[in-house]
Amino acid sequence: MTVPFEAPPLSLTSPLQAEKLCVSYGRRPVLSELDIAFPREQVTAIVGPNGCGKSTLLSALARLHTPQAGRITLERRDIRSYGARELARALALLPQNVTAPEGLTAAELIRFGRQPHQSWLRQWSAEDAAVVDAALAAADLQALAHRPLEAMSGGQRQRAWIAMAIAQQTPVLLLDEPTTALDLGHAIEVFELVRDLAAEGKTVVMVLHDLGNACRYADHLVAMRDGRVVAAGPPSEIVSRELVRELYGVDCTLVTDTDTGAPLLANVRRARDIAAPGSSIS
Amino acid sequence: MTTASEHARPALAPAGSWRLPLGSARSGRSLLLDKRACVANLLLAAALWAACVASLCLGEVSITPRAAIAGLFGYGDFMDVFVVQELRWTRLLAGVLSGGAFALAGCLMQTLARNRLATPGIIGLDNGATAFAVASVLGVGLGIAPPAMALVGASVATAIAFGLAGGIGTQGYRFLVAGIGVGAAFDAITRLMLARSAIDAANAAYPWTVGSLNGVGALALNMLAIGLVIGLIGAAALARALGVVRFSEGVAQGLGIRVAHIRLGALVLSVGLTALAVAVAGPVGLIALIGPELARHLSSRRGVPLMGATLAGALLMVVADLAGRVLFSPIEIPVGLISTVVGAPVLLWILLRPGHKIGV
Ligand SMILES: Nc1ncnc2c1ncn2[C@@H]1O[C@H](COP(=O)(O)OP(=O)(O)OP(=O)(O)O)[C@@H](O)[C@H]1O
Ligand SMILES: [Mg+2]
Repeated sequence: MTVPFEAPPLSLTSPLQAEKLCVSYGRRPVLSELDIAFPREQVTAIVGPNGCGKSTLLSALARLHTPQAGRITLERRDIRSYGARELARALALLPQNVTAPEGLTAAELIRFGRQPHQSWLRQWSAEDAAVVDAALAAADLQALAHRPLEAMSGGQRQRAWIAMAIAQQTPVLLLDEPTTALDLGHAIEVFELVRDLAAEGKTVVMVLHDLGNACRYADHLVAMRDGRVVAAGPPSEIVSRELVRELYGVDCTLVTDTDTGAPLLANVRRARDIAAPGSSIS
Repeated sequence: MTTASEHARPALAPAGSWRLPLGSARSGRSLLLDKRACVANLLLAAALWAACVASLCLGEVSITPRAAIAGLFGYGDFMDVFVVQELRWTRLLAGVLSGGAFALAGCLMQTLARNRLATPGIIGLDNGATAFAVASVLGVGLGIAPPAMALVGASVATAIAFGLAGGIGTQGYRFLVAGIGVGAAFDAITRLMLARSAIDAANAAYPWTVGSLNGVGALALNMLAIGLVIGLIGAAALARALGVVRFSEGVAQGLGIRVAHIRLGALVLSVGLTALAVAVAGPVGLIALIGPELARHLSSRRGVPLMGATLAGALLMVVADLAGRVLFSPIEIPVGLISTVVGAPVLLWILLRPGHKIGV
C-alpha cells in the first residue's frame, strides 16, 4: 500500500460508518474487513477501478446485502436495528442500475420518493407536494415533469432518479455513479446540487469514476481497490501519482488547480509507457 | 418544504389525482385517488353490470331485463323466475366470482414476479389444482372435497416451481420456466388419470379439465366468495407496497418496502384465489392474463390496478360464458375454450408488440 490507511479520527462525527465489514457473493469475498466512516455534512467521493466493490459497499450500507461479518452503524445505532421505513427516512440510496414500472412520468417517479413518509391513511400531504416540487426544480426537470421516463434521454432519466432520492429527504444520501450519463453541464449541476445538499446539512456519499471531479467537489475522498480502502482523506492530501497508479494502473502528471486548490490529472497514460524519462512532475 | 408553507396553502393533489382529506387538515390524514383509475373502475363496473343483466336475459329462452330482475327476486312469470333463479343466477355468480378471482390472482402474481407473463395459469398453478381436483373426483385422492384438493394442488405446484427456480428472481424468468414445466407435468398426470379411469368417472371429471361454469357446486361457490372478499381486502392492504415492488429490488427496499414479505403475501393470496376459482370454473387461466392487461390499459400506470383487474376479469368471464351459451345455441361452448381463443392472441401481443418491455 502506498498510502497507509489510518483509523479516521472523524469517526466520532460520522453519521454512518462500517467496521470490519465483510461482504461476499456466494463464496467469493468482495469486501474484506473494510473500515470506513463518512464525515457529517460533507461530500464524500468513493473512487476505484471497476469491480473493486464500490456498489457492493453502498448496497451494504443501505442494508441491501447482509454482511458476513462486521457491522454498520447509522447515528451510532446498528442498521440492523432499524425498521424498514425508519431506515428509508434516514438514508437514501440511488443504486447504479435501476428500473421503474413502464409508463411512469418523471413527476410520478419522484412522488414515489415520498413513500417512506406516507402511510395508508396519510397518502399525500402539503409537505409531500412541496418536496416533490422542490426536487423537480433541483433536478431542472419542471419542463419534463409529465413526460414518461421511456421518452427521456439517459441523462434526463438519471436526473429524475436523483430527484427521487432527494425527495426522500434523508439526512444521509448515497449516490452510485450519479453523473455517468450526464453531459458536462448537467454533471456540474448535479455536483453543485450535491454541494448545496451538504451545505444544508446532508451527508452525501457518491461513487464517481472521474477522479478530477471527485477531487474538485468532494471534501473527503475514499479510494478503494480489491474490496479494501487504500486511502481516505481530503483529496489534496491523499491524491498522488502513486495512488493513481495503484488504483488504475496509469501514470499521470498531477498539477494543482490554482483556482480551487484541487489536484488535477494531466497527461494520463498507461503505466508501462512511463519509461520515457523526465516526463512527470508531481 | 417548511412548516410555514404547509400552513400557508392547502395540500395540492398531484396531477391526475384527487386528494380526500380524512379529518382535520392538521392531522394530514388523506387518501389519494387516481382519477384515471377511478374512471376505469367505474367504466368496468358499468360494463360488468350490463353484462350481468344480459347474461340473465339471454339464452335459449330470452326474457326482458325487467322480467329478469323481477324474476331474480321471485316476482313475475313462473317460467321466468325458474329460468333466472335456477338456471342462470348461480352460473352468473360463478362467472363473476371466478373471473374476478382469476384476474386478481393474475395481477398479484404478475406484480410480484415483475413479469406480465407470470400468471398462475402459465406457471402451472391451474394445472396443479385441476390434477388434484380430478384425482379427488375420480377417487384417487384422500376423499377430500375437490375445492380443498384444488387448493392443495395449487400450493404443491407453486412450491415445486418455487423450489426448482430457487426463488422468483429479478424478472421472474426462472420461476416462469420452472412453472411451465410443472404445469405440463400436472397436465400429463391429469390426462393419465382420465385415460385410466372408467368412462363414467372420466365424464364426471371432464368439466374440471376444460373450464366450464356448468353445474357449479354450492360449497365451491361459497368458498370462492369468502376467498375473494379476503383476497380483495388483502390486496387493498398490499396495494401501496405492491406499487413499489414493481421497481428494481434495490429501489424498492431503499424506499422502505420489505420486498420479500410483500411478495410472499401476494403469492399466498394469488395461489389461494386461483385454487378457489379453479374449483368453481376449472382452468380458465387466460382470464388472469387478459383481465389485468385490460385494466392496465384503462387505468393509470402509477398504481397496480388490482380492483380494475378484478372487475375486468369478472366482466370477461361473464361475457365469455354468455358468448359460449348464445353464439352456437343450442350447442354450448365451454368458457375455457372461449377464453383460450381470445386469450392466445393477447398472449402473442404481449410477447411480440414492439418497443415494450415485458415487465409490469
Ligand atoms: N450480484 C452479484 N453476484 C455475484 N457477483 C457480483 C454481483 N454483483 C457484483 N459482483 C462482483 O462483485 C465485485 C464488486 O462489484 P461491484 O458492483 O461492487 O463493483 P464496482 O466497484 O461498483 O464496479 P463498477 O465501477 O464497475 O460499478 C465484482 O467483481 C463483481 O463481479
Ligand atoms: Mg458499481
